[in-house]
Amino acid sequence: MGRYWRIFREFFRACFVEELEYRSEFLGNLVSSFFGIGIAILTIHIFFYQTDRLGGWTYADVLVLLGVFNTLKGWIDFALRPNMPRLLEHVRRGTLDYILTKPVDGMFYVSFRHLVFWRLIDVALGLGLIVYGLAEKHYMPSLVDILVFLITMASSLVLIYSLWMMLMTTSFWVIRIDDLSFIFDSFFETARFPIGMYRGWVRVILTYVLPAAVITNMPALSLLGKWNMATALIAGLLAVVFLWLARRFWRFALRSYTSASS
Amino acid sequence: MMIEVQHLHKSFRVHVRQAGWLDAVRHLWKRQYQVVEAVKDISFTIPKGEIVGFLGPNGAGKTTTMKMLAGLLHPTSGKMNVGGFVPFEQRPEFKKMMSLVMGQKSQLIWDIPPMETFLVNKAIYEIDDRTFRRTLDELVELLELQPLLTKPTRSLSLGQRMRCELAAALLHRPTVLFLDEPTIGLDVHTQEKVRRFIAEYNREHQTTILLTSHYMGDVTALCDRIMMINYGQLIYDGELSVLTEKLAPYKRLEVRFSEVPNARWEDYGEVAEVEDSQVVLRVNRERVAEVSAHFLQHFHVYDINIQDPPMEEVITRAFQEELSHGS
Amino acid sequence: MVRKYAALLRMKYMEMLAYRLATIVWMTGAITQPLITMAVWINIDPSQSDAFFFYFMAVIFVERMTSAWDVWELDREIREGTFSNYIIRPLHPIHWAIAENVVYKLLFLVILIPMWAGAALFVPALRVEISMSQLLLFLAAVLMGALLRFLLSYTCGLLGFWITKVAAIYSVLEVISLFLSGRIAPLSMLPPLLQQWSIFLPFRYMIGFPIDLISQAANGHEVRQGFMIASVWAVIFIMMLQWIWKAGLKKNQAVGG
Repeated sequence: MGRYWRIFREFFRACFVEELEYRSEFLGNLVSSFFGIGIAILTIHIFFYQTDRLGGWTYADVLVLLGVFNTLKGWIDFALRPNMPRLLEHVRRGTLDYILTKPVDGMFYVSFRHLVFWRLIDVALGLGLIVYGLAEKHYMPSLVDILVFLITMASSLVLIYSLWMMLMTTSFWVIRIDDLSFIFDSFFETARFPIGMYRGWVRVILTYVLPAAVITNMPALSLLGKWNMATALIAGLLAVVFLWLARRFWRFALRSYTSASS
Repeated sequence: MMIEVQHLHKSFRVHVRQAGWLDAVRHLWKRQYQVVEAVKDISFTIPKGEIVGFLGPNGAGKTTTMKMLAGLLHPTSGKMNVGGFVPFEQRPEFKKMMSLVMGQKSQLIWDIPPMETFLVNKAIYEIDDRTFRRTLDELVELLELQPLLTKPTRSLSLGQRMRCELAAALLHRPTVLFLDEPTIGLDVHTQEKVRRFIAEYNREHQTTILLTSHYMGDVTALCDRIMMINYGQLIYDGELSVLTEKLAPYKRLEVRFSEVPNARWEDYGEVAEVEDSQVVLRVNRERVAEVSAHFLQHFHVYDINIQDPPMEEVITRAFQEELSHGS
Repeated sequence: MVRKYAALLRMKYMEMLAYRLATIVWMTGAITQPLITMAVWINIDPSQSDAFFFYFMAVIFVERMTSAWDVWELDREIREGTFSNYIIRPLHPIHWAIAENVVYKLLFLVILIPMWAGAALFVPALRVEISMSQLLLFLAAVLMGALLRFLLSYTCGLLGFWITKVAAIYSVLEVISLFLSGRIAPLSMLPPLLQQWSIFLPFRYMIGFPIDLISQAANGHEVRQGFMIASVWAVIFIMMLQWIWKAGLKKNQAVGG
């Protein structure tokens, strides 16, 4: 574990040096982050122009939810997204072999080798929005709230990583598509809003099969003090199960890759 | 004259990136430029039907010149005329009489068979059915394309793709052909094939060809005339054999002995290699006959071999000489 | 010209077949955002469920029929230098893009119309009762929308001769159009100020206007006014495109691609 942490730090350093080469892009990235979150808030405004509740959540509640969403999206764009096209490229050109011969876990390597630091701005903006939403609601989360928030947030990150990894692994077969990440995006978009908004089987799917709702709703509810221990535990359990599935799937894909490639 | 170029210049403004944070911000409204002269005062003419080799190290200005000739770049100053047209005006008639093949940029469409690209070119260049059929048949035969026509381009090997690339470029029977590194990355056997095709095609159709290449083999096999360019300037334009004579007035004499004699090799010529039973000498052209006769008479010679110096050696010398004379 | 188009269409059709999996995945990916937005609106006002359902299905249809991806293609081709391959050939590169648009949109049409018809059998909300002339007006509006989006996207793509981040600039325009074209909400649900703007900006005529026609939300005066404004924008875009194309070629000849 310590070794992997050191390797991750090394990836971090290498990418940081690389990005410093492009520091003139700082302003552009800052503007685009602010633009992104501004647009998201504007969208919420337009909805609340016609109503005062969305799936049972008030305006301030939804802002907190949007903050959580933006934070998680920032993490995805920081650590996961930059690696997707590279894996596809590796599989297409057969250069994946170089990685598989390295004495590091392949799944770890392909998922964290490239990092884009600018997107940490989104994480910061998301956290800011959470604080703003709480202030708007005049709610001060207790220490326990924050603790549960941290646990659910961690589960969400693991869940996102697992789902992302499963999608990325399909690239061993579907090499004709340049970028699979938009499939993830269109699913992740559903996590932008309260789960109570969806009905019937859509809600069931988004809770259990593709737990988009759990990913953002749970941390937001925790901060708002509306958590219960059982659901928090379920979130944690779900994360572990999905991580295990992702790992199995990766192994399976590797086996078929190494036995099929020429 | 098919191609006429007079006092051609091309300079680029390259924008200079500053390192510091503050500089990066300042940079947003004030940019600094540096002028790079890629081509400096080049003049030459090429008559119809000639194949000319265009040589020079990377970044010497070969591709820039070629892009100007194909109309992709606008010269900074100077005059040029290709087949009666001014290239950068990009007239359709001009485009129909020339073709550009870039070894590293494909015009074939990646995911569908080459035949589809051919059909698109047929329409774009307004080639009538009969001419198309005839030209295609000829190209298919010369380049051995038959089995490749219906396979998706992405599944072709580099060499196969290059052959299809040439066919796509020649379908409209251009009178001028610009080949930029046509054999780059190909294996020796395929290089040979491509060369033979170009030579044959030129003989048959009197196509004027300007060719850049890193490979000496391409140039020695195809061109009688070469132009050498370095730092944007034309440093040699003339026959390949003259250049060889001027820069390498010697031949390589490779001698193997059955019994090693005791001799001072320096007396005969410049020593390139000495092994137990083998000597390689660079002997002045006028002395070659005399020296080899002497060897055969006085020593036990097992094998003797007289060669022109390898082209790489000549070219390297040419550029070195340019360096010592030039600046 | 007819022959050239026949060859281009054939080639683009072959190419599309080679990419059919990616095409279908893209198509499915494009429908999630309208579906989510629809869920939000139905949640806000359940009594209008049927109207919202019809509206957002129409959004999916019109959005697909007018979508434009040319900016990304151009951006890549100019950056990688393969755009030269089009410049040296005696046919304006825009014809490749037009042929591609025609082929893909015909495909969308062939998929979406039967789906709509099939769904209308079971879902009364999807049934449309309009006259032939109204249908023709709707199709004309869709065509106009497709033209406007194509021109905007292609013009932006040509900016790639000068700047490296054209795709980012275009994304900003897309996001603005998200609101003003009626994809986030029917234009009538927007605050009055935005509604006013949307009438004079081009975005509404890319998606919202055709939907107003098919759902018969626009009266005769509004229809005439809509087509007028859209045509003015089309002319402006065409002029911009021509100007940028000429300037872009000059720029490209000066610095190379």
